[in-house]
Amino acid sequence: MGIFSKTKPVENSQDLKESYFTASQGQLIRSRFKSNRTAMIAGWALTVMILIGLFAPFLSPYEPTMGGRDKSYENGPPQFPKFWDENGFSARPFLYTTERKRSIKTNFRWVLTENREKRRYLELWVDDWEYSFIDLNIDLPGTTFDFELKTLTFKKHLFGMDKGGIHLFGTEKSGKDIFSRTLHAIYTSLAVGTLGVLLSFVLALVIGGVAGYYGGWIDSILQMITDAIRTVPPIPLFMALAAFMPDEWSAETRFFFIATILGLIGWPTLARRIRTHLLSERSQEYVLAAELSGASASHVIRKHLLPSFTSYIIVDLMITFPYVVRSETALSFIGLGLTDPVNSLGSLMQNVSKADVLLNYQWYFIPVIFFIAFVLAFVFVGDGLRDASDPYSHTK
Amino acid sequence: MLKFIQFTITRAFLSLFTLLVVSLIVFSLMELVPANCAERYLAFKNTQGQNITIEDIAAEERRLGLDKPFPIRWGTWVGNVFIDGDFGDSCILRLNINELLSDKFWISLGICLAALIFSYILAIPIGIYSATTSNAVTNNFIRFISYLGLALPNFLLALIIMLFSTVFFQESLTGLFSNEFRDAAWSLDKFMDFLSRAWLPIFVLGWSATAFAMQTVRALMLDEIGKLYVTAASARGISGRKLLWRYPAKHSLGPVINSLGFDLNRIFNDLPVVALILTLTEAGALLIDALARSNDQQLAGAIIFLLTASIVLVNFVTDIMLALMDPRVRQGLVG
Amino acid sequence: MSLLTVENLNLQFDTDEGRITAVDNVSFEINAGEVLGLVGESGSGKSVTAKSLMQLNPANAVYSSESSIKLKLEAEEVDVLSLKSSRELVIVRGGAISMIFQEPMASFAPAITIGSHMVEQLLIHTTMTKNTAAELSVEMLERVGINEAGKRFHQYAFELSGGMRQRAMIAMALSTKPKLLIADEPTTALDVTIQAQVLDLMKDLVSEFGMGILFITHDLGVIAQVADRVSVMYLGRIVESGPVRDVLRSPAHPYTQGLLKALPKLDALDQPLTPVEGDIPSPLERPPGCVFHTRCPEVIADRCNASVPTRTELGHGHSSSCFVLDTAGKPA
Repeated sequence: MGIFSKTKPVENSQDLKESYFTASQGQLIRSRFKSNRTAMIAGWALTVMILIGLFAPFLSPYEPTMGGRDKSYENGPPQFPKFWDENGFSARPFLYTTERKRSIKTNFRWVLTENREKRRYLELWVDDWEYSFIDLNIDLPGTTFDFELKTLTFKKHLFGMDKGGIHLFGTEKSGKDIFSRTLHAIYTSLAVGTLGVLLSFVLALVIGGVAGYYGGWIDSILQMITDAIRTVPPIPLFMALAAFMPDEWSAETRFFFIATILGLIGWPTLARRIRTHLLSERSQEYVLAAELSGASASHVIRKHLLPSFTSYIIVDLMITFPYVVRSETALSFIGLGLTDPVNSLGSLMQNVSKADVLLNYQWYFIPVIFFIAFVLAFVFVGDGLRDASDPYSHTK
Repeated sequence: MLKFIQFTITRAFLSLFTLLVVSLIVFSLMELVPANCAERYLAFKNTQGQNITIEDIAAEERRLGLDKPFPIRWGTWVGNVFIDGDFGDSCILRLNINELLSDKFWISLGICLAALIFSYILAIPIGIYSATTSNAVTNNFIRFISYLGLALPNFLLALIIMLFSTVFFQESLTGLFSNEFRDAAWSLDKFMDFLSRAWLPIFVLGWSATAFAMQTVRALMLDEIGKLYVTAASARGISGRKLLWRYPAKHSLGPVINSLGFDLNRIFNDLPVVALILTLTEAGALLIDALARSNDQQLAGAIIFLLTASIVLVNFVTDIMLALMDPRVRQGLVG
Repeated sequence: MSLLTVENLNLQFDTDEGRITAVDNVSFEINAGEVLGLVGESGSGKSVTAKSLMQLNPANAVYSSESSIKLKLEAEEVDVLSLKSSRELVIVRGGAISMIFQEPMASFAPAITIGSHMVEQLLIHTTMTKNTAAELSVEMLERVGINEAGKRFHQYAFELSGGMRQRAMIAMALSTKPKLLIADEPTTALDVTIQAQVLDLMKDLVSEFGMGILFITHDLGVIAQVADRVSVMYLGRIVESGPVRDVLRSPAHPYTQGLLKALPKLDALDQPLTPVEGDIPSPLERPPGCVFHTRCPEVIADRCNASVPTRTELGHGHSSSCFVLDTAGKPA
């Protein structure tokens, strides 16, 4: 960190200077990024969350769907394994057995009581419900192209209990484990986000690229259309569309539909930025200089134009991501996006605004913390990347 | 002066063009819905026990003019909307859309505009102040707020407020009107009641915009303050608040004003969800309520169009304001 | 006494990398009706010195306690560095001292008319009414050679050509009848013909108004045309100063000699150019002793890097700070 340290004066060593001047753009960006502590922390947090999302089935002791619900522990508060209580110390973390009783004394409501004598132990690396990393079931009209592929099936999970259930974040109304659902929701939100951003990006690249490259009246017309689309507020539009989504659609189809719509809504902003970058870079003198030195068009594009704004584009993508996730969350929250049984952070929060939830079952809010952390991580990383790719940022 | 008029006229044409494109999009989407108006209406009647035949559907189609080709139907719709301001009848309820929507539209628009104004009244002075002070506490506070604004989208904030109010205050701050005023005619009392309850949605809606605007204003000010003309002005003896306002502030407000339309877009975007959380819809007062509860594409289309038209109008107004403030803009579009 | 006396001006900036010296023990004088040229490469500290005269440097600038900048006003003498608040500095800024900058476009606020700028300045420094101020401004615009001055008064900076903008700037700077004009590279951004016109204009104005000018530039040719005396700066120190003719004809300091040698010669057009060797060191790495010794072709080992050379008088007000000069005061 010697070169970019702010507390020591610049080192005089010739080697250090040489390595700075001969570093590639990628190395410079990485180095500047690393010296930005907030961005690094956010970057790690993001990586952790992505890994959690990808390995969600492995990490969850329960299936996030109705199949995995624990009928004996509905609306139950979070359970944290303990190492120690009045009965003594245990190297293996344990939980108490809970019993559900209902009688006239409790007004016939189910009440959970703990039996502190009976312990249940936490086990690592257990066998439990089956999950597959690739589980495609493509059902096209007709039967010729139907396709089923189920591989990478495992039964191993990181932890489980020898008897009964463990619910780190508690359960919701029908007994589904919130912990498992949250992990899977991270995955879903990531997937929707990635798909949406990818779609936006491709569209934006094409339309913005054409507008920026050709300029002139093509640009003007495309600009006007882009602006018109950008003016329409997405969520009301989506509400109008979603109300017409047939109920027969499967969860996967809804998923693709939503990701597609979000992608179609997000491209105008991205396209505008690409077009602006292209227009301004195209008339820069270094492009002219390269052309005068005899560089071919493809060389100019590859070696000069693209690197000049690749970093901006990456930053733009990073920043678009949380917006897509936010939109999807908002939509699922109103019930128009992904709904049960598909998990997304939005559908998890669907029940949160009801009064009795707010009063009694506050642990339903835990996914909210994940959502905030998720968005913040993206924002900080995006900011950090933007500062890192701007070669003039440290001279400010 | 002449340049300014030219600019206004050009801009007005652009806005109209945008509206036309939007109307095309909206109208096409309305068409994409499976089953046209006639079929859905009669299907609805069917569920009520009436026997509908194919001829009935065809007759209904002819009556509504649904058998004419797309361009003509679009043209008629555009004509009706632009010239008469008439959105026609809703598909299923068969009531005039204008009547259905007008009250709700104005209330929704009022709340959103209030949120917009509120957020800028707050953000601009704070942003300017934070750019000029080297006070670490203020700066960190501002950064904290803006990050919070990013991480906590409006609906989350609403959720958290609801959580607090229910858990700690045993009270839910919902609804736009108290019971006695809900269906009453408008009066001063009703308006005061409305205000006393509307402050919460206005605050929540304006929150994201405030956080974002604060950061933008601050960054723009910092940029402008470093420019040579500010030093030159200082070298001429201009100082203090005058230096601040006449020089960097005036010039950095441009992009901020430019983004008003976009911010309104975002507020409209957040409205449905916030309305749901704060249970504003039970008063039946909101536009979005009409959208969510109905399956009616005419109504939906009209609503989307109205929202977008408001944004286009705001964009037009802000562009004119910008031209008034910055002579380079007048030059740019026309010259 | 002279109009402006700068003594032992010492300026450091407080930065994240530590204290950086920008101006090191600079002293000079300017008399009324005289043009002093301040010459040096970028990074030599000339702009910082100039800005110090009005305390225009950023807030992290630290002046040493021995520094003094004395300005002779009508009734009294003022030490600019002792003025603290902006209100106190108003007498100096735009009043007794005016400054014109290198980038005329960047010096005018984009959305305010030329006239508006000028009237504002007059209203601050005089007791004129708005109308009188407007009339005077139009007069000044005419005086500097802008035609259709009345129309230009209502125009914006971007509507004027480069040369006109610079003239407008001069007009604005002179409208308050300052005692001293600081010109920070005023002709660098102009093409040669306009440059010549502006220089002529400045010389006229000096003789008409009787003010002093501190003319900052890196262009020796311009100095030769417009300055009466010149000071050469390197890395925050003045290494040589004296009447223009003397310094340019018989430069005493190796740096000045190097600068002159680096100019292309009309009578030897095919000769390769001989720049001054090396690069100006970063302000974080100020050489010990004589600041120029790292690039000096006549460096004396163990002497030049050990102590700072003092000023040697060479006659007629010509002085230089160099060890190479022998005791008789002539270059070795």
